[in-house]
Amino acid sequence: MEDGLFSITSVQLQVPADVNTILYVVFFMGLIVFQFAFGTRIQVYFALNDIGRGLTKLKIMKDKSRKEAIDYLVNVGKSPNDPTQRVDQFLDYVTIMPVGIDPQGLVNKIDHVVTTNNERVRSEVTALVGQGQNNPVTVSISENLLEVATSLNIIHKVVRHYYLLGKKTNSYFTLIQLQMLMPMIIQESDALLNAVDSFKVGQPVGDGIGPVVVSKLMVGKEKRVIAKDTVIATTEYKGRTLHVLKADGPMAYVGQPGVAIKKVIEEMGVKPSAIIMIDAALKLEGEKTGEIAEGVGAAIGGIGVEKFQIEDVATKNKVPLYAILVKQSILEAITVMRKEIAEASEKVTQVLQRVIEEKTKEGDEVVVAGIGNTLGVAQ
Amino acid sequence: MMSSVPASDKKMKLLVYSIEECPVCGQKTKRAFQVGDYITKDGGKCTKCRNTTRVSLVYAESSKPSG
Ligand SMILES: [Zn+2]
Repeated sequence: MEDGLFSITSVQLQVPADVNTILYVVFFMGLIVFQFAFGTRIQVYFALNDIGRGLTKLKIMKDKSRKEAIDYLVNVGKSPNDPTQRVDQFLDYVTIMPVGIDPQGLVNKIDHVVTTNNERVRSEVTALVGQGQNNPVTVSISENLLEVATSLNIIHKVVRHYYLLGKKTNSYFTLIQLQMLMPMIIQESDALLNAVDSFKVGQPVGDGIGPVVVSKLMVGKEKRVIAKDTVIATTEYKGRTLHVLKADGPMAYVGQPGVAIKKVIEEMGVKPSAIIMIDAALKLEGEKTGEIAEGVGAAIGGIGVEKFQIEDVATKNKVPLYAILVKQSILEAITVMRKEIAEASEKVTQVLQRVIEEKTKEGDEVVVAGIGNTLGVAQ
Repeated sequence: MMSSVPASDKKMKLLVYSIEECPVCGQKTKRAFQVGDYITKDGGKCTKCRNTTRVSLVYAESSKPSG
């Protein structure tokens, strides 16, 4: 065997090396050396190109959302003077989150900062819109449009930062990571920009499915404000008293369901045997839009303050938390409600009734909360 | 290397409708969404029993993509 191998190599070595073969070998050696020396540079070049193109897209989106917000303030809000300068100031406004190295009481601090910011936004936007001031829907839509413009502004700025940083330092890994994230960033920005179209005309968005379901229980009942932008009504189902709450529609509000639920239990003295929350949930790729999922726990997104408040009060009072979720993509959640989502509302109502029947007894009290942006959904 | 910028999603034309439902007889009418519509807003008179209808849903449907 060894002998055979040896003889083959020696045969090969005896082949006269003509010029072509030498050139061939040299060419491939050169290619390998070139690949080693310049491979990453070529990839950096392509990455820069790719990110540059994405960045241009982001800039167009950012400018468009800004223009839409200004146009809305002028045309619908009847802003008395040109709001451009104020809008630009608004877009660069920063919210500084509290320090996290001493976590004791952190949620309250975050809540405080966020509340301050929300109040600031409301009062600034109210000042920006002119005659539209008297219409809370116009003010709330302006708020949302400015929020979209702010988000796109920040996204563009951060991506541009890493792009320029990567370019300046010729950092291969910075650029490759950014290039990998770009499709997701563009997709989310695109969703944000698409949201503008539904917000402008006050159409309910996919995220509003919770409020849609809950509004059916509240219609015709006496409503009262229980927390900022949040209303509650009391109704009955098969011998159970339902305390039903949602953000105050048809404004583009999300309200303060955390504060509201806390007040129901601690101030109104309600002893609920269940808190049922209905919310939109992000679907995974491949899942169907409008699919319903049930679960336990506080079904609410956001920065975490409301979630904390609800979990806290539920734990202290040993009230079980149930969740009913309607699956949708991020795009579907912030743009006009799709038929599949809207039509899930009837099924959600059935699930809600079943959960109430299964988990509570006659004479019990139940808190039902519709979580989400309630634009275009009154009660 | 994969391309960073996704082929922009096929822009499907969405048509938005408001559904008016009669609270008495349950008859539903589908019409195009008008600015100012919102869920629970009073709609037109029910064609069956002449009661005032209510907007019960607002949703978007994709029109059949024409090519
Ligand atoms: Zn009727």
